[in-house]
Amino acid sequence: MKRIFSKKTILYTLILIIIAVLVVLILTMDNKSDDSRKISAADNDYPDFTTIESMEKLARGSELAKGSEQMPVYGNWKTFTEKDGLPSDKVYTVRIDGNRVLAGTHDGLAVYEKGKWRTYTTGDGLAHNGVVSIDVSVNTGDVWIGTLSGLSRWSGGKFETFNQFNSGMPNDLVYNVFCYGNDVWVATGGGAGHYNTFTKEWEIFTEQNAPMHEPWTYALSAGDGKVWIAAWGGGVIEYNTLTKQFRDYVDPDGFMEIDLQPDDGVIHDITTATSYADSILWVSTYFGMSRYDGKFWKGYFDHDSGLASNFINFLRAEGPVVFVCSDNGLSSFNGKTWVTYKKFDNSTDGQAIVKDGNTLVMEMPLSPSIAHNFTIGVDAEDDVLWVATSKGVCRGELLKN
Amino acid sequence: MKNISALILFLILTSPFLKGQQLPENYGNIPDELVAYDKYQKAYKYHFITPIQFYGAGREKLPPKDLKEVRIGFLGPLEGSNIVSLGTQMLQGSMLAIEDANEKGGYNGIPYKLMVHNDVGLWGAAANEIVKMDDEKVWAWLGSIDDIVSHVALRATLKLEIPMICTGDPDPTFTETNIPWVIRNIPDDRQSCYALVDYIFKKKGHSRVAVIRANNRYGRVGTLHFNRSSTRIGYPVIIEERFGDGETDFSTQMERIKKTSPDAILIWGNAKESGLIVNQLRSMGMNQPVFGSDRMVNPEFLNIAGKNASGIVTTCQYNPDSDDPEYKAFKASYMKRFGQEPDVFAAHAYDGMNLIIAAIEKAGLNRALIRDVLTDLKTFQGYDGVTGPMIFDATWNNIRPIFMAEFINGKFKFAPAPPLEKDEAIYKKTNIGY
Repeated sequence: MKRIFSKKTILYTLILIIIAVLVVLILTMDNKSDDSRKISAADNDYPDFTTIESMEKLARGSELAKGSEQMPVYGNWKTFTEKDGLPSDKVYTVRIDGNRVLAGTHDGLAVYEKGKWRTYTTGDGLAHNGVVSIDVSVNTGDVWIGTLSGLSRWSGGKFETFNQFNSGMPNDLVYNVFCYGNDVWVATGGGAGHYNTFTKEWEIFTEQNAPMHEPWTYALSAGDGKVWIAAWGGGVIEYNTLTKQFRDYVDPDGFMEIDLQPDDGVIHDITTATSYADSILWVSTYFGMSRYDGKFWKGYFDHDSGLASNFINFLRAEGPVVFVCSDNGLSSFNGKTWVTYKKFDNSTDGQAIVKDGNTLVMEMPLSPSIAHNFTIGVDAEDDVLWVATSKGVCRGELLKN
Repeated sequence: MKNISALILFLILTSPFLKGQQLPENYGNIPDELVAYDKYQKAYKYHFITPIQFYGAGREKLPPKDLKEVRIGFLGPLEGSNIVSLGTQMLQGSMLAIEDANEKGGYNGIPYKLMVHNDVGLWGAAANEIVKMDDEKVWAWLGSIDDIVSHVALRATLKLEIPMICTGDPDPTFTETNIPWVIRNIPDDRQSCYALVDYIFKKKGHSRVAVIRANNRYGRVGTLHFNRSSTRIGYPVIIEERFGDGETDFSTQMERIKKTSPDAILIWGNAKESGLIVNQLRSMGMNQPVFGSDRMVNPEFLNIAGKNASGIVTTCQYNPDSDDPEYKAFKASYMKRFGQEPDVFAAHAYDGMNLIIAAIEKAGLNRALIRDVLTDLKTFQGYDGVTGPMIFDATWNNIRPIFMAEFINGKFKFAPAPPLEKDEAIYKKTNIGY
């Protein structure tokens, strides 16, 4: 023991500690400069070479983008369950459509309008009562509904069903639907595809004509002329609608059991959703989240960021903010600051946890809180945020101060 | 000594700064020398070390009243597939477990009923079948064999939150999807590949192995860890040839393999094609030792290959010649009921269905609670089935030791796969080029 703590040893140790601290500080500064570089790249106004994005912004408003220079925090949560008129507490998806809100539940489509819920089921013409995805065409106002057994178009008060037997649908289980221009894109258990509402034709993408090992598609999003398909097990498939070319993004390390480097590409091949806004592509997986600015990837895990959990069901980006639906809370993030909403066990209360990177800034009490920590769907517009959970759907209001 | 002491102290003091790194433990029985990239750097994140939890709602749901039957789903290849014989065995194993349980009074006097669904192996079709099971209100389901079907069905079962037991798909990536609604009781091809790599290269001393595999997901993913591991220990596969389902003439592939002068050949495919390949190899004068996947442990393979099967070594997920009294009772009962010997799919389905029934009887009629029991890594950890013990890892994959099967004197002889040899001289370069 005496030998270990001799004067020279202590001196060497101190020198080494100083060097180590300096190295850590330098690395941290590097990371910060990387982040700011990516964010400022994202802030550039990329030209819209189609008008779809601008139409979307116009239709859905841009208040969120303005307000999120500081991260928006939502409170005054109101939860809706079967007691309030929902057909089921299990809510897969939620979409704001003007003055009404559409919620997809296990037992039907629920529409919230003028303070009341109304349910639509197969009895009304819906393809299946299990509604897992909803999108609204900004061109026509038609509501497109992905169900557990077919795709429904709700237009003029009538439902029209598309399935494998009466159309070119790749599979009846429609995990995700996304309207982009004249096209309605679907991600299904048997491939992705899009329906041109003008020509009334389907085009299907599977392992036969796209760079995916298997066509297990789970979600998709689009913007700036590109479509990003979350291929479950195949990473992200990018499709350029102008050139009709594909490229894929997979985890470069090639192993399911590790992530070698968090920033070398998409962090895992089991992708669950993509969302594109402000020239940033966000990708969720059951292992964490990735952000891609067109040049650099960055990975986020629950141990090194404000992410509520690595198991992410869905995400949606609105302006610079991405809302992340995990199995253990709802997170939001603008590339710098995290706000994560968590409900306490056996209580209606909870908190919003604000983090700068992985540094805790504050824990804001919320009474009441979100409906449930198992979040599945989300939509934001202006000063409200709707969240679909496994125990109801809830609505939060932007806290002004 | 002083410098060493200082270095140790430095490492201790600075270890917290190794941002994001976790201490690696070997997931999936991965031998130390085969941990991905471990020779060069630690991974930023190691998955599957601890099981993920299910935080969703549903546990509070009360069981329905006035039930007339307790439904359990089944998904397997029963028609329109090239593995119908395997699916039939899996169905029969499931039926036997259900019949046994109903003889004991069912669930509180309510009989169990198997809701049978066919998987045709087409993309996406399995997803539709799981939706039907949800509509039928099954409490859990069992299946399947084809890894494409199983993956598609797994995704749907997560969405619909129905507990699933996989008893026939050995695709390693299946449980690596991190889905907390599935357990698998059949050991996977990762375990088979490690056993084969150890046996072929270390115990038998081969160095030039050719692979011929099915040109489908079963062949691609099944041989994945064989290819990776053989490369890591210095003996990369010298040629990989592929064949399609239903193909009968393999001469083109065989000619290419012959030109590489392999000292052993690994076949990875279904029984029929594997038997035909063995025959064509021998007819071409290729007398190298042949190794294969567990699907060779099948009467169809033996009928086709005949005496050419002599000396072939495969892996097997259990011991079909076990003297275990419970296994012998199951075998006798199965033969009496169905008039044929149970195979690997029947035996694991029997065990899997018994797990579902035991979980229902412990948790009651609530899917989330049934899931909790199946995945708590306590209730069924070490459970002794007719196929052997169940040792579940953090992905609920059964990683118990597997068996080697060698065809000697007209029958397969089964023995536990010997412990993997630790190779101190890893990453050595082979001297033989190709």
